[in-house]
Amino acid sequence: MSNYLDLSIKEINNLLKSKKIKPIDLVEEAFDRIEKSSSLNCFITLNKEAALKQAKELEDKEVDNLFFGIPIAIKDNICTKGLRTTCASKMLENFEPIYDATVIEKINEKHMIIIGKTNMDEFAMGSCSKTSYFGAPRNPWNESKITGGSSGGSAACVSGRLTPIALGSDTGGSIRQPSSFCGVVGLKPTYGRVSRFGLIAYGSSLDQIGPITRNVEENAELLNIICGKDEKDLTSAKRDSEDFTRLIGKDIKGMKIAVPNYFVSDIVSKEVLDVFNKTVETLRNLGCTVDYIDMKYLENVVTIYQIITMAEASGNLARFDGVKYGYSYPNPKDLEELYTKTRQLGFGDTVKKRIMVGSFILSGENAKIYYDKALSIRDDIKKSFDMAFEKYDFVIGPVVTSEAYDLDEEFPDPSKSFMDDVLVMPVNMAGLPGLSLPVGFSPNHLPIGLHVMAPRFEEAKLYQFGAFLEKELNLNLDPRGDKNE
Amino acid sequence: MSNYKTTVGIEVHAELKTKTKIFSDSANHYGKMANTCTNVIDLGYPGTLPTMNEEVIHLGLRAALVLNCEINKHMHFDRKNYFYPDNPKNYQITQNRTPIGVNGYVEIDTENGKKKIRIHDIHIEEDTCKSIHADKKSMLDYNRAGVPLVEIVTEADMNSAEEAVKYLEKLRELLLYADVSDCKIEEGSMRCDCNVSVSKTDKLNTKVEVKNIGSISNVGVAIKYEEERQIALYEKGETFKEQTRRFDDKTMSTILMRVKETGNDYRYFPEPDIPFVDLTDEYIKETKENLPMSAEQRREVYKEAGINDINVEKIIQNRNISDYLNKFIKKINLVIASNLLLGDIAAYLNKTEMNLDQTKLTDEKFEDVVNYLDSGKINSKIFKEILDDVMESNDSIDKILDNHNIKQMGEDEVIDIINTVIENNPQSVQDYKNGNERAIKFLMGQIMKETKGNANPQMVTDKLTELLNK
Repeated sequence: MSNYLDLSIKEINNLLKSKKIKPIDLVEEAFDRIEKSSSLNCFITLNKEAALKQAKELEDKEVDNLFFGIPIAIKDNICTKGLRTTCASKMLENFEPIYDATVIEKINEKHMIIIGKTNMDEFAMGSCSKTSYFGAPRNPWNESKITGGSSGGSAACVSGRLTPIALGSDTGGSIRQPSSFCGVVGLKPTYGRVSRFGLIAYGSSLDQIGPITRNVEENAELLNIICGKDEKDLTSAKRDSEDFTRLIGKDIKGMKIAVPNYFVSDIVSKEVLDVFNKTVETLRNLGCTVDYIDMKYLENVVTIYQIITMAEASGNLARFDGVKYGYSYPNPKDLEELYTKTRQLGFGDTVKKRIMVGSFILSGENAKIYYDKALSIRDDIKKSFDMAFEKYDFVIGPVVTSEAYDLDEEFPDPSKSFMDDVLVMPVNMAGLPGLSLPVGFSPNHLPIGLHVMAPRFEEAKLYQFGAFLEKELNLNLDPRGDKNE
Repeated sequence: MSNYKTTVGIEVHAELKTKTKIFSDSANHYGKMANTCTNVIDLGYPGTLPTMNEEVIHLGLRAALVLNCEINKHMHFDRKNYFYPDNPKNYQITQNRTPIGVNGYVEIDTENGKKKIRIHDIHIEEDTCKSIHADKKSMLDYNRAGVPLVEIVTEADMNSAEEAVKYLEKLRELLLYADVSDCKIEEGSMRCDCNVSVSKTDKLNTKVEVKNIGSISNVGVAIKYEEERQIALYEKGETFKEQTRRFDDKTMSTILMRVKETGNDYRYFPEPDIPFVDLTDEYIKETKENLPMSAEQRREVYKEAGINDINVEKIIQNRNISDYLNKFIKKINLVIASNLLLGDIAAYLNKTEMNLDQTKLTDEKFEDVVNYLDSGKINSKIFKEILDDVMESNDSIDKILDNHNIKQMGEDEVIDIINTVIENNPQSVQDYKNGNERAIKFLMGQIMKETKGNANPQMVTDKLTELLNK
């Protein structure tokens, strides 16, 4: 089998343009790789038949853009017309959407080829993809380790070089955290940058779709395709069109960077801190100034996140009731039983727990005590970031508090899964863009990421910074070892 | 029994007459085949998001303005969470914290003069599916899901069935004339729920909610029924729990649906998928200035034009007639115009089962007819004769009269004939002058004979009297 999928997208594009290869070569290679790496359990549903058919049809078409014929993997909470979309839940085990999400329409317009739907935490609730009804995906760097989550399947798929690109979604770190654990580049765009129409909602005011790729430039290229104001999503933002790659290659000398002290406090493990400190040193050597600052409310972020997402989720997931679509408890004796049994048997434990807590949070006077208060603190978090960005170009920190841990490790404390995301949640609260960039390895040779945060709608600057640092570090991020060195 | 005081509060849901639904672009149509006016958004399909129909905001604002409400300029929507099969998302998007209008009022006429019924709030929300129950099965029609509604909630300000009926009639008139809603109770585009309680003291007793009332007059029946039922219970020394009952129009009584255990917990929270809506002062002012002419304003104009009270009310009852008539204000004689519209033309439309706009009656023809009648050029008998042609042919009124061989004589011509008849009948003239009233009838007869019926009788009478009295 060929190794075209190890090439950069630009190189593949040139081969396609010069007719040296055909889209079918890429698709066959992708499915071949997926089969050989089936233990990674990256996919819930493969789109093999349709993908091969589409690849054949593309042979008669002109290669009209960079992503023409490129295999892509899609997180399984993004609706794909006629292609099963499960949210990794028994509830939607046999759910075939009758429409495409806006991002899928954009991907189809560019003739990318959807290879399959990737594994994830059930309804995106979790941080190690272990709540999937279809079993957890495994980390390509070490299959006994977690991929992170909830976009674990998408991150592992790109990391394992099964497809060069994937889409994830990020409500409280779900793109950036698995990207860090799997050694790939993941971006959570500014809230409103990418349409949420067709993304099965978890926490509506925080959810955002974003690209997961092998390098920064391809990430920027993919964002170019999926971004934009959508009339179908009132929370999507109208912006002048821009090329997110336009600043890539420009020097970052003189840039001012802030590190909130909380992000390097004792909540972070040594192996992560070591890599982070080394990165700070590198940045200083590149001519950046790095200051350690105090930022308010960061230590409250997990609580605020829990209140807002669980409250919103309790409403968002109410529609799964066995009446219209998805799992429906057979032969219920009455309406009450249809509701209770459908939801009892259709949802996994984590989802049920969060719906229950969310319902409690909104119940009676609680809405004022918890939800309203959370919204007001969220505003304060936004303001803290705005203040920091008056003086600094970027705020940085580690992405996660530790390296990827063992898949079979059990944590008695259910809030552990939230603590995994404590460093990345603030970005969702403030609606900012956040980039997860691999910057080193732990002593166990597991990837460690850097989290870079910028003001709203400053993705181009994030990519400039990320690409410059990426080039300087020049890490080998292929988990399959030395073969490419 | 009469020492009990009745207290009534009313919630009205009115469907807004928009082209499309509130949160999607599927059509807002009544009476279409089930589930043909629906899309993924109305179905509450996973991943879908609401859009915002600006027409809804506009009509909601109009409604709030005619109800004399204070406007929430910075408003948002909320989710009301409850499970029911007719509620596709199992939450309804409504306005809880920032209803578009608050603290309004509707003024009604009572035996003791005018009374203000206070409006607690008016808010915008989406309608649910229609449930159809048949044969142990329940079916859902999503055509109604997402139809825009306003819910109008009064304070408990009404004290009798009559006041409640007056309030609803007035409310219906306000919404209808503001072009907000069709307010057709029979089609469900206006629905009323009443909260009724009775008490011997000023302290309010347990209230009973009555739903499913199919007409305004039945609201009165339902309230009277509840008054009697509740009083009878209290008189027996019994009490009851807060409850919801439905009106049954076969037995004209109310039937228990459910007892309210505890306060409903709808777990309201701000809808994150819809950003705040800001209504600028300029927009509110513009909307207010461009409100369609209200029923009250129309009454004034008609009364000023000399139309009698009964006809004024008849016109107001029929919005189409009122709108049509309004095109001719200050142009023609409105009394004659309204008589035609309520009389011969209404009868014609009734007979042919048509609307005015389906006929060939142009504005120009209508103006001519009214002016001819006004000047005496034609009389009502002639109008009846040519009515079918007026409504059905493309010809002008003059052409139609020609076709019917009707030549109304001009005033000069008529005066010549009158003078001739007077000259030829000196005896009758003398009889008239001696006080014999019957003599004038003879003279009239002679004149009509000479004019072959082509003269306006009223004009002939007027002119003859004038000339005899010279």
